[in-house]
Amino acid sequence: MISMYLQGDSWAHRLPAGLKLLAVALGSLILFHVSSVWIFTGCLVAVVALYATLGREGLAQLRLLRGIVFFVVALLAIHWLSGSLDEGVVVAMRLVVMVLAANFVTITTRLDDMLDAVLPLFAPLKLFGVSPRTPALGVTLVLRFAPHLMLVFSRLREAWQARTARRSSWRLLAPFAIQSLRMSDNVAEALKARGGSAGLSSSP
Amino acid sequence: MAFWPKIRTGSRERVCNPDAVPYAVFENVGLTIGARKVLHGLTLSLSEDRVGVIGLNGSGKSTFVRLLNGLRSPTDGKLTLFGAPSAEAEKELPRHVGFVFQNPDHQAIFPTVEEEIAFGLTQLGADKTASREQARRFLSDHGFGALASSPFAELSEGQKQYVCILAVLVMQPRLLVLDEPMTSLDGLSGRKIREKLMSLPQKIVMISHDLSHFEDFDRVLWLEDGRLRMDGPAAEVLAAYEADIDRRLGAGMEVAAL
Ligand SMILES: Nc1ncnc2c1ncn2[C@@H]1O[C@H](COP(=O)(O)OP(=O)(O)OP(=O)(O)O)[C@@H](O)[C@H]1O
Ligand SMILES: [Mg+2]
Repeated sequence: MISMYLQGDSWAHRLPAGLKLLAVALGSLILFHVSSVWIFTGCLVAVVALYATLGREGLAQLRLLRGIVFFVVALLAIHWLSGSLDEGVVVAMRLVVMVLAANFVTITTRLDDMLDAVLPLFAPLKLFGVSPRTPALGVTLVLRFAPHLMLVFSRLREAWQARTARRSSWRLLAPFAIQSLRMSDNVAEALKARGGSAGLSSSP
Repeated sequence: MAFWPKIRTGSRERVCNPDAVPYAVFENVGLTIGARKVLHGLTLSLSEDRVGVIGLNGSGKSTFVRLLNGLRSPTDGKLTLFGAPSAEAEKELPRHVGFVFQNPDHQAIFPTVEEEIAFGLTQLGADKTASREQARRFLSDHGFGALASSPFAELSEGQKQYVCILAVLVMQPRLLVLDEPMTSLDGLSGRKIREKLMSLPQKIVMISHDLSHFEDFDRVLWLEDGRLRMDGPAAEVLAAYEADIDRRLGAGMEVAAL
């Protein structure tokens, strides 16, 4: 798998995982009520500045954007066709800001810390005799592999572009779906081979 | 502090006996995937320390070894693993049987080496702090201390495969199953991994297309179209297999020459 973790000891690495996740969650909630292009421009500058504090390697992580260019263009196109380009710009900027913010957390947080931060959310399941670790691991793995899927998509697009000299096509969606499913099959099998999401401690 | 509470689902007793000999007994085992019969009437028992599995592409090797750790279950016949019927043993198998996949990128779940090792320990019930410490110690014991916090993706192919084997070994399984672990490695890394494997106390079942890896093995199984074509000491089976490949090549050339 592509590494989505940036090795390091920056201020962002040292923040507690729970705090970072909470900030992204709250930030996203607030952004859904914002519709000013200027505020979004500010957010965009701010979030890019966050990456800049991680140094050159941090800024290099912005290449992730290549993966979502397609979605952004599609969003803009749909809004343009329906005569609401202004709104489209806002939706697209919101997407970009949120993806960059979520990715910032992903690259600066160890996955096991993330798992610990998510686990309490599912603690009530214990009342029903269900291990909270299963859904917690699920959420963590989604966080872990979401950026990876974007990379898969941008790679497909490059392969397409190399042979057709055209940028993108809806026809990429089918191979993308297949590759995503295959990837989730692999992850599921790897997990099962080491005892599954609930762990082995339940059967002594 | 134990962040991951241990959940006890009843007081289920262990069904597997890790010391069982033989550890696997196949009685007329078959496996159908969808509408396809992939394995047919396999009858054999495994107790040797080093067992190799060979056969052409699509002969059923990967499917066969997946039966050993419960990644697949038989649809026909009877399979006994570590003394228990496979259906009952399934939940405990990952504890006793480590599985190394062909492609390390398909095996690593976590982004860093240390987390990947620590995961196996938390699976066994260790808490996060203890598992991290133990993982670091385990890595430095195996000469990987310097790479503990490296992103998995930045390792060389050989290092990746090595880490995958360590990630499985840290769980202290009795049996190690490897599905073509040396395929993407250069000759040097392949030899190093092979030496490592041969030195392990675990029993090993390994698939490979490179027959030289089986020279020191006790036994080799040759699968053909989902059936056991030959089963015996490594030297005999390997020689017969190579002769068969030569024969097929010869036959192919005659057809082409017509
Ligand atoms: N998930 C699946 N769905 C359908 N058919 C499958 C599946 N897995 C395996 N098969 C089929 O079962 C047969 C045996 O496959 P298997 O992967 O076990 O072979 P193999 O000996 O490991 O081959 P290779 O040397 O190429 O790895 C093949 O014909 C394959 O197409
Ligand atoms: Mg195979």
